[in-house]
Amino acid sequence: MKIKSFLVAVAVLAATMISLSSCQQDEDVNNNYVKYQSAVDAQVKAQKKHDKVILLVAFGSTWNNAFLAFDSTKAAYEKAFPDCDVYVSYSSAICINRAAAGENTDDKGNIVKRNYYAPNFWLHAFATAKYADITVQSLQVIPGEEYSRVINYIKDFANNHLGDLDDEYLSKLDGHLWLGTPLLNNTDDVANVARILNDAYKSQASKGVVAFMGHGNPDSYDTYKANIRYTQLELALQVYSKNYFVGTVDMPDNYKQDVLARMHEAGITGGTMNLYPLMSICGDHGHNDMAGEGEEYWDASDEESEDNSWFEFFSHKGYQPTSNLFGLLEVDAIRQVWINHTKNPVELEDYYHSMYPEE
Amino acid sequence: MRIEKRLTIIFFGVACIVAAPAQQANTRLADSLRVESLPEVVVTGTGTEHLLRNVPVQTEIISRKVLDSYGGRTIEEILGGLTASFSFSEGDMGSQLQLGGLGNSYVLILIDGKRIHGDVGGENDLGLIDPQNIDHIEIVKGAQSALYGSDAMAGVVNIITKRGAKKGVQKEEEGIQAENSTRYGSFNDNRQHNALALSNGPLTSYTNFQLQHTDGWQNTSNEFTEARVVTDSKNKTVNAYTLWQVAEKIVYTPREGMELYADGNWYTKSIYRPQNGHYPSCDVYTYDLMYRNASASGGGKWTFGEQNEVLTLDIDWNRHAYYYTYTATTLTDGYDPLGNFTNYYPYFAGQIDLQSDQQRLMAHLKGVFHLPYEHRLSAGAEYRYDYLNAPMRTATGTADDWTAALYVQDEWNSLSWLNITAGLRLNENGAFGFRATPKLSTMVSLGDVRLRAGWSQGFKTPTTKELHYRYLHTMGSSTFFNLGNTALRPQSSNYVSLGAEYRGERLTASVTGYHNRLDHMIALVNVPLSEIPHDITSAYAGDGSTAIVARKYMNMEDARTLGVDVNLSYSFPEGWALGGNYSWLDTRAHQYNTHHSRLEEVVIDGTAHHKWNAYATWSRRLSTYYKIGANLSTRGSSRRYYQNNGDGAPFQLWRLNTTHDFGKASDALPFTYRVDVGVDNIFDYVDRTMHPYHLGTNSPGRTVYVAFAVKFKKGKSVKSNSMSNLKTYENED
Repeated sequence: MKIKSFLVAVAVLAATMISLSSCQQDEDVNNNYVKYQSAVDAQVKAQKKHDKVILLVAFGSTWNNAFLAFDSTKAAYEKAFPDCDVYVSYSSAICINRAAAGENTDDKGNIVKRNYYAPNFWLHAFATAKYADITVQSLQVIPGEEYSRVINYIKDFANNHLGDLDDEYLSKLDGHLWLGTPLLNNTDDVANVARILNDAYKSQASKGVVAFMGHGNPDSYDTYKANIRYTQLELALQVYSKNYFVGTVDMPDNYKQDVLARMHEAGITGGTMNLYPLMSICGDHGHNDMAGEGEEYWDASDEESEDNSWFEFFSHKGYQPTSNLFGLLEVDAIRQVWINHTKNPVELEDYYHSMYPEE
Repeated sequence: MRIEKRLTIIFFGVACIVAAPAQQANTRLADSLRVESLPEVVVTGTGTEHLLRNVPVQTEIISRKVLDSYGGRTIEEILGGLTASFSFSEGDMGSQLQLGGLGNSYVLILIDGKRIHGDVGGENDLGLIDPQNIDHIEIVKGAQSALYGSDAMAGVVNIITKRGAKKGVQKEEEGIQAENSTRYGSFNDNRQHNALALSNGPLTSYTNFQLQHTDGWQNTSNEFTEARVVTDSKNKTVNAYTLWQVAEKIVYTPREGMELYADGNWYTKSIYRPQNGHYPSCDVYTYDLMYRNASASGGGKWTFGEQNEVLTLDIDWNRHAYYYTYTATTLTDGYDPLGNFTNYYPYFAGQIDLQSDQQRLMAHLKGVFHLPYEHRLSAGAEYRYDYLNAPMRTATGTADDWTAALYVQDEWNSLSWLNITAGLRLNENGAFGFRATPKLSTMVSLGDVRLRAGWSQGFKTPTTKELHYRYLHTMGSSTFFNLGNTALRPQSSNYVSLGAEYRGERLTASVTGYHNRLDHMIALVNVPLSEIPHDITSAYAGDGSTAIVARKYMNMEDARTLGVDVNLSYSFPEGWALGGNYSWLDTRAHQYNTHHSRLEEVVIDGTAHHKWNAYATWSRRLSTYYKIGANLSTRGSSRRYYQNNGDGAPFQLWRLNTTHDFGKASDALPFTYRVDVGVDNIFDYVDRTMHPYHLGTNSPGRTVYVAFAVKFKKGKSVKSNSMSNLKTYENED
């Protein structure tokens, strides 16, 4: 009978196991959002030195060299705006997560962990710390998809989207909430950037092709039709020299093979070629899609494959390419264009009072 | 010449020399050896019991004896080391199995005839199999069985547990059997198996507990990332993991010929990824992975009539839930306090987040009847309902699917030299409608030679994952956005095999050729980024940072595998045995290149043209209380082909296992003991190809292990065949 009792006990145990298994996760994660925001609020409060703040918003990167480029950009901004606190924000969750968790390094090789919070969390913290003047600077190249997201963060913030900000503070922010536009925001910027690039690379352009590789947006993501800036930049550069070309990774009809076709049209079928990323930092696209060398980056049966790098493509087409591996934020004169945009920001319309007309 | 090569030549040379004259002696020895080993009985191909030598559907078996002498650590080691048909590659979530060139989701894995529950993609979690609890393994290639569903396009692997093999205590006996096996090896590899069988009158209880743990290992710290080779990557070749499982089955036998059962199991597996990585692009992780499985089932089996007609009913519920366990603060998709979708919902270290919860309900009714003129008819009905709850990974949060099937199978054995088995499975799927899949096997017996031919059609509807899933997948330095595709069509297969087998008293030899053609094969294919719907992720964007690859499940035009398997084994009278398997495989698939709108011919990822293994075993009882055994084995593969990230290098590994059995069970001395001591990868071959390129083998090099098992048996154990439909061994012969 002992065995029978044991069997009953075992059956009860089995039933318990099964019922346990149907339980969902029971940890209370509902307060996570508030808890996380509080941590960002506390950090900003502790670090606040000035009444004005600048938030630099980039997509982000998972490359350590890009972290260094953002470090130096932040330092340059602090120098240019001595009366402002400066923070860097990523809009990519993966990039934020890995920058915060990894034992990444600074320019001296020391281990550092960086918090590039998402823009909404920073803005909330700025309100909590009662900054009197906020400028959000887009570190994008063109006013496209990502830039539209930057605008949306600001709108959500100014509208008190979650309803947890101090209304009185927000109403006072009227006239003190600014947006710094992307590098190639308008045609004046295009002309200006073309001039700077020509100043920097005209000696190379006098000897051979100088080609820039931008990112570009696929058709369905071509917000504000911003892809046109790449074409405009090429036209503006070609005023200086017919040896300048601007192509992209993702913009339809402006891939590497389209750049080649335009080079052929211009009668350039060989010679030296300097390749530059037309991106804020030089990460995966710059190092692999542009500068990748070796058989891994060349499939002869599918020359136009997106896996074939610009370096290999143009090498096989009879040119002698040289890759230049740094991003636009690492070119002082170009970084100065962004800084000038921050100095002359766009005043955002008063979202708060347009939402709450009675206040 | 390297010592391994010399050893290989000697090994195969000896095998050939001894096999030839020994074969002539077969007839002389036949009678005296008949009782030496029990004939092997298999069930997988037809669902009815057959002697292995007479099974009409070509079945490969890994016997208990071979398993015992090999001393395998995991099911991967067992299948990879004892057959030449399987290969494994390491994935982020554990190893991915391939059978005859086709991946995990085309392989149906059964435990005691019941389909295990895996990933939504149809992938099997091999951790559910306790390697210490296996009695033997049966392998049937192609969608050859009408009984187990037509989606087993690569084949069926049926794990017969010690319990399932009816080797435990039997009815009408009061008794207790307990067993503990503990194995420890390099890299803190820990295997724990505990089983308890209790019997009292009509009630029997089986309890099984298993624990598996390894710290994982790193074959190389070199990794190509951020456009250079770094030498201190934290990525491991095999990640650390811990799993444990408790299973309980209660069998009630109210009377002769009737058996009722209820069982359940609870399983959890955690996979630990490296921490403190230096390179945000490849070795920084903010969450680990966890699985929780549970099952409950019940049913019965009735044997009736003079000819032992059989009726079985099984009802199964299974749950497979997949979680992230956060190890650092992580922003991920979720809903903000107002319920709006956001890419920035935070989780903190220690919290878990459900990724997918899938549940399956199955009911299966089957009957086996003897009809006049030597017909044996199997007929059944099966219903399966799948439910997926994946809040962040599907557009609507949930998805479901059902399939109903009716099948009949007739085994006709009117002539002593001819067996014809014909089956038809009628499938009805909720989304994809009706499809009939026929199967036909023929066996001709000529003395000790069997000639077999098989033809079968398979049909596999897209899984809920392939249809509805969409998620960001990061693996090392690669980031993918994988997209389900509701426009997918079902896959179908056409399998033909032809084999000859000689099964003498000492020598067994077989050659089987097969051709499997798959149409509308589903694969993840690179697609333009613009295919990613708006507003579900911002990960596709970027300004010169991480590139992301959009992939979508698509029907490839077709794929085919062509292969030949050769198996050879020979046992000597003095306790020696030699054996080997060789597999030749050629695969071709047509893949659609969306960039150029054209079809391209490719080799199926991870396949090799040649794979082989061989073993020599020896055992001898030195006294009443001590038996020693040794097993020297080798396995190898030629180059493994991949479309991206390089091919896997060819390899050959050697292994030595020794077994030491102490004691002989009796009522006076109920304990028996066993010690296994062995060394794996004797010549310390390590594939140190840097991440993220493919390895031929992920073996960590030479490892040593020791395993200790103790068995306790009290009460008489009776082997009962009352539930068998194989009347006697003789009348089948």
